[in-house]
Amino acid sequence: MPEVQSGIRVRPLDELDIGAIVKIDERITGIYRPDVWERRVGYYLRRDPDSSQVAELDGRVVGFMLGDVREGEFGIEEPSGWIERFGIDPDFRGRDLGRKMFAALTAHFATRGAAYVRTLADPTETGVAGFLGALGFTPARLQALEIRLSEPSK
Amino acid sequence: MNVEQVTLDRKYHDAVVHWRKHWMPDYDVLLENWDKYFPKDEPFCLCAKMECGTPTTIKVGEHAGEPKRLKPDELTEDEARHLLAIIKAQASTEFGSIQQHAGTLARAQDDEDRFWVMRVMAEELRHGYQMFHLLLSQDWNKASGGVSGREMVEEVLEMQTGSHVLDAFNVEYDSFIDNICFAAFVDRVGKYQLTMQKVCAYKPMADSMPPMLREEAFHLAAGVIPLRRWAKRAAEGDPFVTMRAIQKSVNKWYARALEMFGDERGGASNIKMGFKDMKNGEAQAQYIDEVTRMLRDINSRFLRARFPDYGPEKVDQVLDQLERERGRHQGVDADDLLRLPDRRFFRRKGEPAWTMVGVSGEAFTDVDEYLRHVAQHLPEAYLASRDMKMYGEMLRKVAAGEMTPQDAMMKMPRLKRVGGTCPCSKSVRWVMEDGAATTSA
Repeated sequence: MPEVQSGIRVRPLDELDIGAIVKIDERITGIYRPDVWERRVGYYLRRDPDSSQVAELDGRVVGFMLGDVREGEFGIEEPSGWIERFGIDPDFRGRDLGRKMFAALTAHFATRGAAYVRTLADPTETGVAGFLGALGFTPARLQALEIRLSEPSK
Repeated sequence: MNVEQVTLDRKYHDAVVHWRKHWMPDYDVLLENWDKYFPKDEPFCLCAKMECGTPTTIKVGEHAGEPKRLKPDELTEDEARHLLAIIKAQASTEFGSIQQHAGTLARAQDDEDRFWVMRVMAEELRHGYQMFHLLLSQDWNKASGGVSGREMVEEVLEMQTGSHVLDAFNVEYDSFIDNICFAAFVDRVGKYQLTMQKVCAYKPMADSMPPMLREEAFHLAAGVIPLRRWAKRAAEGDPFVTMRAIQKSVNKWYARALEMFGDERGGASNIKMGFKDMKNGEAQAQYIDEVTRMLRDINSRFLRARFPDYGPEKVDQVLDQLERERGRHQGVDADDLLRLPDRRFFRRKGEPAWTMVGVSGEAFTDVDEYLRHVAQHLPEAYLASRDMKMYGEMLRKVAAGEMTPQDAMMKMPRLKRVGGTCPCSKSVRWVMEDGAATTSA
């Protein structure tokens, strides 16, 4: 059920949100990458279109949160809600939009049988880490590890 | 989210599988490559999916607040007849779209686009199967005039492009552009119909909608995302993808899509009976707003690719200017962008049926001049079709006063084929348990 409050509406993602997400991402990162978001939105819409959420303010999409329920990831067999990407237009922060989208997402995860919500974050990105901490995320037992196979191409 | 999966009785299930072999020859290729193109997704299941836990009381209409009906016998005869027509029409669209997609599927330039459409086809097959479940799981004798469920299934499986219930499903594709535009425009009407039917007073119908809608979300993406990518290629000068070719396909499908809502002035009985929660005109107006946004989004993609140095605000500004003034900007003409034709353009059903209104809303009085205008704005390959020939003939009769618009509406579609390349596609063979095709129904 979309949440509507003082011009704010949180609703499931749809295919017409790609352009708005591209703009939000560009405002945050400074990079225009429509191909990336066409792929990611296509992925989430085909997997579970009720899961990922966008936040509208007076009819304009100003935030998004993409995620789905998966099982068997990294040996975690029980269904878990995974949040992969989120962003809020810098001009519209401080309105609790992230928390509202998170609430809608987690409510949906629960209907799919998820008992946990998981994500990966860079602790040096204090804004993101602080937001996740405020939502109640705590460090998990599993830690992300990586190894470089070659020098990144220039 | 809890979904019950139901399989039809063996002979009906096998009849659908048999139909599929004719119209979806690449079905096995789709399943073999499912994990490549749709990794981590649930495997495809040819079954009916019934959502559990949906509301049990009627939300709209004269029975609002009463328990939802579980059997056709709990509906009045009029209601049952009305709902049966909706279910049969829905079934017809599902199978009809597969037949249309099949015609040009192999012409896709990219394998990903092709596999996306193949998945759409498979899921439309499941939606048709879902409607068969509704037809076969209950006794509709009260509303069907004695026609059995088996006969209704047979009737739908016998339909071909030209004999389906709605006009949009009686028009053949001319190129793979049609596969994509159809998904973006016609499937979007399907989304509206399914959404409206979520409230349906007949609970099995309402329970069918959420799983179908979840799949429909991808179908719309399978239209919009390739359109966005093509707009980029067109902007970069790809000679094989042009905005004008896309625009002509938009012009072809938009009129038929608008007609799928039913007459703009109608739909009150659907609400009164509790089957839908919006009238035709109201739903159509929302649809028009939505496709307007869609085209603006695609145009933004085009402009951004043409002017990589422009930021999003500058692109919005240029787009506003081109839309408003219909002029040029740095070599881009307003006509290089996509736009919705007037809602009265090329209509043969509904309020503006057989009026001679051009793509920009201009009125024509001379039928030959109007037909030349229509021809100029439709895909060239479509012009030589029987559908267009009949449209022209009907329009001439209406314009000359030899036929009323209402009579002309009833004449379309009228493309029933009496021959075919495959006898199996003309009449259903019920497949018995030994797998051999036996009696013709």
